Amino acid sequence: MKTRSVTYERTVRHVVIALASALLLVWTVFPFVWILLTSLKSPADILSVPPTFTFTPTIDNYAALVVGEQRGQYSSTRPDFPRFFLNSIIVSIGAVALSVAAGIPAAYALARFNFPGKDTLAFVLLSFRFVPFIAFVIPLYILYQRLGLYNTHAGLILAYQLITLPFTVWMLRSFFMEIPLEIQEAAKIDGCSWLGVLGRVILPLSAPGIAVTVILGFMFCWNAFNYPLMLAGRQTFPVTVGAIQFISYEQVLWGQMAAATIVAAVPQLLLSLMVQKYIVRGLTMGAVK
Amino acid sequence: MTKSWRRHWRRGTFLPYLLLAPAVVLLAGMIYPFALGVYYSLTSYWLQYPNRFRFVWFDNYVDLLEEPLFVRALEFTLGFTLVAVVLQVGLGLAVALFLHARIPGRAAIRALMLMPLMIPPVITALMWKIMMASTNAGILNYALSFLGVAPINWFGSTQGAIVSVLIIDTWGNLPFVALILLGGLQALPTEPYEAAQVDGAGPIAMLRYVTLPLLSPFIVLALTFRAMDSLRIFDVIYATTTGGPNDATTNLQIMAYQYSFQWYQMGKGMAQAIVLLLLVVMVSYLLMRLWNRASESTQ
Repeated sequence: MKTRSVTYERTVRHVVIALASALLLVWTVFPFVWILLTSLKSPADILSVPPTFTFTPTIDNYAALVVGEQRGQYSSTRPDFPRFFLNSIIVSIGAVALSVAAGIPAAYALARFNFPGKDTLAFVLLSFRFVPFIAFVIPLYILYQRLGLYNTHAGLILAYQLITLPFTVWMLRSFFMEIPLEIQEAAKIDGCSWLGVLGRVILPLSAPGIAVTVILGFMFCWNAFNYPLMLAGRQTFPVTVGAIQFISYEQVLWGQMAAATIVAAVPQLLLSLMVQKYIVRGLTMGAVK
Repeated sequence: MTKSWRRHWRRGTFLPYLLLAPAVVLLAGMIYPFALGVYYSLTSYWLQYPNRFRFVWFDNYVDLLEEPLFVRALEFTLGFTLVAVVLQVGLGLAVALFLHARIPGRAAIRALMLMPLMIPPVITALMWKIMMASTNAGILNYALSFLGVAPINWFGSTQGAIVSVLIIDTWGNLPFVALILLGGLQALPTEPYEAAQVDGAGPIAMLRYVTLPLLSPFIVLALTFRAMDSLRIFDVIYATTTGGPNDATTNLQIMAYQYSFQWYQMGKGMAQAIVLLLLVVMVSYLLMRLWNRASESTQ
């Protein structure tokens, strides 16, 4: 009697676990599957009622993205997606390069020196993580119009420092602080200057951390939407702003929009595989390791 | 004079400032426009009518109190944040506890959960916009039809729009909460559990009196990040409802955007942006105190 109820309980437990796992999987993965299917459908298949899982796949939506044409209709609203993709790459790389160049010495100073104003500076940098973008983008828009930075890559790279600089400094600082002080002291006794300590001890030992910071910084730039929405124009739109161009007053180009979301998401999915273990750390500016 | 200068130099007193100089220059490049914005919030700056530019002191702020949309946007900002944070931290805790229980396939699920987390939020919004098509061609309405639910007008109705934004934001950020809490669970010490087991505590008592108190710093951390992001949510709302219908999903950030980039009233828009900023500062202060209490209680 007893054994029977134990096996019964175990079966129920297994079924509940299997159902919960399935639910979690469907919730997480199904949207990707459905958008991938949508991106391979013709306009007629997309609008079919009920939604169809069996159809003849077509690469027309992707072809239209590359060619930059809508195949026949409303050619005035065609978004230039290859250019948007290139813009995303240029601006993200530029912003990360600038942040890392300024961030490495700053993070070294914050991790290894004591000086008045240190905590204040670190706190000010951190607070940028929580600032509403609109408070910065309004004056930036006005300034950029005057300075000729509106709708330029340089302007976007500078604006993206609001995203990447605080992140880079805090991440690098948390990686630098993990290096034991003893190694640094040993190098000093061997006659290394502060520059030698940075170049021969800190940087080589934290190379993986720097790589993680660069990749995550690039990903955050890739995700950026609101700054380029206001500060970029058709020549400098990144993929995030580019993807909403398929919604126009007349219609929504569902198939091309689906293809665009896949193209905008794929680099992120590939990069996140490389930094899996560090994503939570990156999203919390180094707070959770 | 020159001697002490040189001594400071040798000792490296100035070195950290030198190292920080490039970052501080970039930082100044961000703070200057902000200061300019604070000034604009005290003016009647209207981009299309440069002649009307006047210094108006706090008129833009006082006007907000009489603006019905502002009150509704403030309500929506706070209400959305409260519901989103409770929902996401609650569900995230459930998912974390579930994954912590060594279920089969945990590593795979954990890896897959990074996917919604790392794609651009605006792309998340567009994906759901496709799935939430209000006609019968929308996959979500089709799936719900099996449960006997009539087609929902997701973005066209007031309630539907609010629920849609909530669902989309939760899909994108639930993994963030779950992964933080899962990391916290895996870092918990084992001794308190052994002690509780000796005392004969059941699984519910164990969760209530051992796990949750020990996990509280991680919960507060997840809460803080989610609250700060929900107060400022923009991408998802912009790409799906743009604040509609009837301003039902207009939060302070969307409102400030509309004032400044649709009607070009930069002074008013900036005043709204600063009110939002003050709100964020206030909430972060409250959360910081909560954080101090949580981390003290575990020590």
